[in-house]
Amino acid sequence: MSAPLVQRVLKVADRVEETFMIVALSFMTVLTVVQVVLRYGFGGGFVWSLEVTTYTFAWLVLIGMSYGVRTEAHIAVDLVTSRLSPGAARAFAAIALVAGLAYCALMIYGSSQFVDRLMTLGNNARDIPVPRWVLTGIMPIAFALLALRLVQAARPVLWPRAVASDKQ
Amino acid sequence: MTAGFLILALFALLFLRVPIAISLGLSAILTMMLFAEQSLVALAQRFFSALQVYPLLAIPFFILAGALMTTGGVAKRMIAFANSLVGHFRGGLAMAALLACALFAAVSGSSPATVVAVGSIMIAGMARSGYSREFAAGLICNAGTLGILIPPSIVMVVYGAVTETSIGDLFIAGVVPGLMLTAMLMIAVALLARRLDLPGQPRADLRTVLKTGRDAIWGLLLIVIILGGIYSGVFTPTEAAAVSAVYAFVIVVFVYGDVKLREVPKVVADAARTTTMLMFIIGNAYLFAFVLTTEQVPQSLSQWVTDLGLPPWAFLIMLNLLLLLAGMFMEATSVVLIFAPIMFPIATALGIDPIHLGIIMTLNMEIGMITPPVGLNLFVTSGVSQLPLTKVIHAALPWLVVLFAALIIVTYVPWVSLVLPRALN
Repeated sequence: MSAPLVQRVLKVADRVEETFMIVALSFMTVLTVVQVVLRYGFGGGFVWSLEVTTYTFAWLVLIGMSYGVRTEAHIAVDLVTSRLSPGAARAFAAIALVAGLAYCALMIYGSSQFVDRLMTLGNNARDIPVPRWVLTGIMPIAFALLALRLVQAARPVLWPRAVASDKQ
Repeated sequence: MTAGFLILALFALLFLRVPIAISLGLSAILTMMLFAEQSLVALAQRFFSALQVYPLLAIPFFILAGALMTTGGVAKRMIAFANSLVGHFRGGLAMAALLACALFAAVSGSSPATVVAVGSIMIAGMARSGYSREFAAGLICNAGTLGILIPPSIVMVVYGAVTETSIGDLFIAGVVPGLMLTAMLMIAVALLARRLDLPGQPRADLRTVLKTGRDAIWGLLLIVIILGGIYSGVFTPTEAAAVSAVYAFVIVVFVYGDVKLREVPKVVADAARTTTMLMFIIGNAYLFAFVLTTEQVPQSLSQWVTDLGLPPWAFLIMLNLLLLLAGMFMEATSVVLIFAPIMFPIATALGIDPIHLGIIMTLNMEIGMITPPVGLNLFVTSGVSQLPLTKVIHAALPWLVVLFAALIIVTYVPWVSLVLPRALN
């Protein structure tokens, strides 16, 4: 069946996500410090450093959104759900999932149009010789991954039986 | 009308337990689609550019520095030092916990991180020494809020970024209010210690004080690097934050040796996770603020307030009430992001200093961290104390009296916030 394959793909995605985030954050930090050292030690620095850092940061956050769903990092307001019956909790989870997916869909739509416009313009980033549409192209992908993770996270509450049968 | 829909949609989504970030973003998008001419492209572009605001880059670096120092025994040594200084007083261990929170706040830019760093050691320690777990949790939950008042501070970074106020000035302005709040909490502990007949410990001799002080100095030097570096113009706040992270790495791996090199990636992953959680909220809060701005909400609100002819003191009451309310339901950085652009022009028109406004907002956000339903400090305190959330809330609320008193002083005595930045400029 397809379920084990999906799970294997997701497992690999887990590793890739986490490794990317570790590398990205370390890289940003070191690059920024190197820039300070170069400025005082050698009176210069890389022109591209700042732009590379800010794009790395954007990618870190975009990839991290879905990582945050998996590791339950995103905070929500808990006014009512802790006192709900299982049925009502499921209804709440379903509505929250629909809202999350709607958000992702709209962001995918908006950001792919944004990337498409940059493609038409075809210009490069300010200091690095890479087209801007490549640098922003991660955005629709990241929101698609976020949607995937939202479904994955909601499965145990919404479809407990399907999750149980996966494990057998 | 449009603004009404925006706020209603936000609260409806929050109530349905949609994550805060998505609630902010989705309510902004829906409002935009229903009422405004702007396209989704503009929002997507706005979101991406929010993730590239240079001053905000200080956030991941400060979080990374904090994560390294929390796992790397910096907090442990600060606690030992604090304990050797004040442990012999009645209620000494509680005072040491409070002082340790203030010391750790001087190297950490986040309140929940301060609670975790000190609380994970001290709550159990105080419980062993005859304090109730609730008392320990309540105190540290509150004292941990110093994390964003005593520099560095993530909330001040966000305020500085959106209002284009000097982050260095804001940091320095937080010092006196931070010390004042520490002293006020210290007095509260001393009074309680007498009433509850809390235990003291044997007095530490001078040698112990010096030894623990020498151990803790590596961590404490960090604040000197940060403030000194920013103020002397050696580096920007963002660079200072990156230097802190590398410095913290060197200290915990090579000087203290508490973290093994192969354990570092896990700490970095943890910091990256916290960073993206915060930045995902911030990016969406930018969308929310963007919709408010395109709908001219800040402009019409400030016009309205100006027309009312409110005196500054009355405006400040309104400001505090609004921020306290918002702080209950939203996470601190998003409150600052949404409210700072609205309040800033009004405050400037009334002659309130931008730095003073920033400190008032920071103090309100501290209170927001311990007021349910959304109080990050409450959540993490419940985690480190293993007490249920409701017990933590009960334990933390009485201390709010002290924080409110500090808020009133900071609001109406601008001198407290402005004395240091003015003296230095």
